[in-house]
Amino acid sequence: MKRMTRGAAVTAALALATSMAIGVTSSHAATTLTMIAADYPGDGHTQQNQWNDFATRFHAANPDITVNVTVKSWNDIDQYVTTQIASGQTPDVVNKGDYSAPAAAGLLYPASQIVSPSTLADILPTFLNNSKYNGVVYALPDLASARALFYNKDLLAKAGIKKLPTSWLSLTTDLGIIHRKEKGIYGYALPLGPEEAQAEFNIWAGGNGGTYYDYATKKWVLNSPANIATATYLKSLVSKGYTEPNPEKCDRTACAQALFAAGKAVFINGSVFLGSWLTANGGSKINVGTGSFVSNSKHKPVTLGVQDYFTAYNKNGNQAAIQKWMDFIYQPDNYAKFLTAAGGFIPATKSAGVKAASNPALAPFIKLLPNAVFYPGDIASWNSVKGQIQQGIGQAVTGSPSAVLGQLETAAIAAK
Amino acid sequence: MTTVRKRYRIGALPWIGPATAVIILMVLYPAYEMVRTSFMNIDETGTSHGFTGLSNYRNLFHNPNLVAVLERTVIWTITIVVATVLISLPVAQILHAKFPGRRLVRYALIVPWAASVVMTSTSWLWILNGYYGILNRILISLGLIQDQVQFLGSPTQSFAWLIVVAVFVSVPFTTYVILAGLTTIGEDILEASTVDGASGWQRYRNIIFPLLRPALLIGIVINLINVFNSFPIIWVMTTGGPGYSTDTTTTLAYKISFRNADIGQSASMATINFTIILLFIILFLKVSRWREDA
Repeated sequence: MKRMTRGAAVTAALALATSMAIGVTSSHAATTLTMIAADYPGDGHTQQNQWNDFATRFHAANPDITVNVTVKSWNDIDQYVTTQIASGQTPDVVNKGDYSAPAAAGLLYPASQIVSPSTLADILPTFLNNSKYNGVVYALPDLASARALFYNKDLLAKAGIKKLPTSWLSLTTDLGIIHRKEKGIYGYALPLGPEEAQAEFNIWAGGNGGTYYDYATKKWVLNSPANIATATYLKSLVSKGYTEPNPEKCDRTACAQALFAAGKAVFINGSVFLGSWLTANGGSKINVGTGSFVSNSKHKPVTLGVQDYFTAYNKNGNQAAIQKWMDFIYQPDNYAKFLTAAGGFIPATKSAGVKAASNPALAPFIKLLPNAVFYPGDIASWNSVKGQIQQGIGQAVTGSPSAVLGQLETAAIAAK
Repeated sequence: MTTVRKRYRIGALPWIGPATAVIILMVLYPAYEMVRTSFMNIDETGTSHGFTGLSNYRNLFHNPNLVAVLERTVIWTITIVVATVLISLPVAQILHAKFPGRRLVRYALIVPWAASVVMTSTSWLWILNGYYGILNRILISLGLIQDQVQFLGSPTQSFAWLIVVAVFVSVPFTTYVILAGLTTIGEDILEASTVDGASGWQRYRNIIFPLLRPALLIGIVINLINVFNSFPIIWVMTTGGPGYSTDTTTTLAYKISFRNADIGQSASMATINFTIILLFIILFLKVSRWREDA
């Protein structure tokens, strides 16, 4: 017993000494920031190099601040961040696709505190508007994407189709022609597998006046008549064999984009970076055209605008250092490097936007943005609802649309 | 007396200490955290809001996918274990017989066991791929099918393939356990039975099989636990999809946590899984003790 007490005393003394030592060093005000960043597709290389370069140069300019950036794949980042927070290792800065849940939980600095006023003024208001929770901007848009109807020009010509379809009706007709004339070719690659099902369905539903969340009534409306009609229409395409079989299993990258790259699909709903992805993934020979996405009659064609975010957590109290780091990232030269490493996205700042507007690869997408529908990203439970939609919504086009959408709506309402 | 015993116990400490430390750190502590988490309210950012009683369990029992997943887990576990044992028994018998090249065949059988399950599953994923898979290619070349088949398309078909892969992965281990059991059976007993005029089948039914029971029992219980807990095969090949139609309780727990961002509910699923495993183990201990008594 006595020995135990002595041991405990020694431990306590050691602990005290260590904490004093830390106290001494911290008078130099050395701060270490941790950042977790999602890895954009880019040119096929990880963004870790770009972030390491940023961190090195930033540290050279600010010797008292060290930044450690961990780059995670889009598949893992949500769970990685959640796990870090749950285990008490809250990061300082996160770069990923959502912000509302931590904003609602009071974990974030408001945007006005994490960049200087001049940097904030440079960010496009459209994107800042999609970054609010309860009227306060809590996240900084890092970049955005929009989608368009991509098509394989050669396959379309082979089917003798001269005009792009603009409505569901004309799309059905064209897909029918392709189905009859070109064996082994799928008219439309429909990725309703878990990877991006929420995006694919949102853009189809948007062209029919449907949405996931109704801001007027503040309710989840997954099971709305417009959405059921959308799923029923898609189901008819699937059952006629106009799409690849089993769209509920078809992930965007490994299935739909791969089919398109292999010249096995005529149409695909592609994001702004699809062109560079095709080049890097064996689809450089595909003769690609783009156009507006189709919509149901009486509805305007829409695009899906997706923006991602920088968020800063207040747990570690590193506000001043975070602000320096964020301003550094948004410096035009650095921001341009970030965009290049990410690969062909739409910039979120005015200064970079001017340059992008003259870029022929980006210009058509920037033009589509005014008609963009966005995810209900400012609803606190969106990330959890998104997970449910990704798992389940594919079955709405193979099973019963209303049953599947009804189950998803119930789950969305129940989500915390 | 007591001092001797005490010193004896302390003296054992350096030997059992590391193992005890590993058990406490790697088994007991995580299990404790898991059970504790299942009673806590954790929001989707990962922030804890304290204890919430049984509400995670209530949410889990109201989860619309739970019943189907539980039924599937039972089918999954029983089908795979039964099929594995039925295949392993004759395979072990063959490997026990003496024939030229036996060593080579024995080595070959280890491969699927030695390979990482993720690797094996990934290979099968591509073998079965509906567009580029080699199985489609072979079947089309043989004229057995006209068009490509999406082997992992429909829920029932992909679940059947998952079972096939799980059996493929489980057979080597089970075969080796049975093989080990076979080598413990003395030649003299078998010789004696031959002298007494037993036929081959009689010998297997009345002598070899009863003597194999301990090995078989161990093989079955370890397989039950492995298969019940199996995560990589399902996750790599179907991620439990489409929807939740090929999930077992293990992958469901993962999905609830990391796809639907509900850590508390996921922990309650994991705790129930853990309880089921404990029941398996208790059953195993009971059965083996009963055997000892007999």
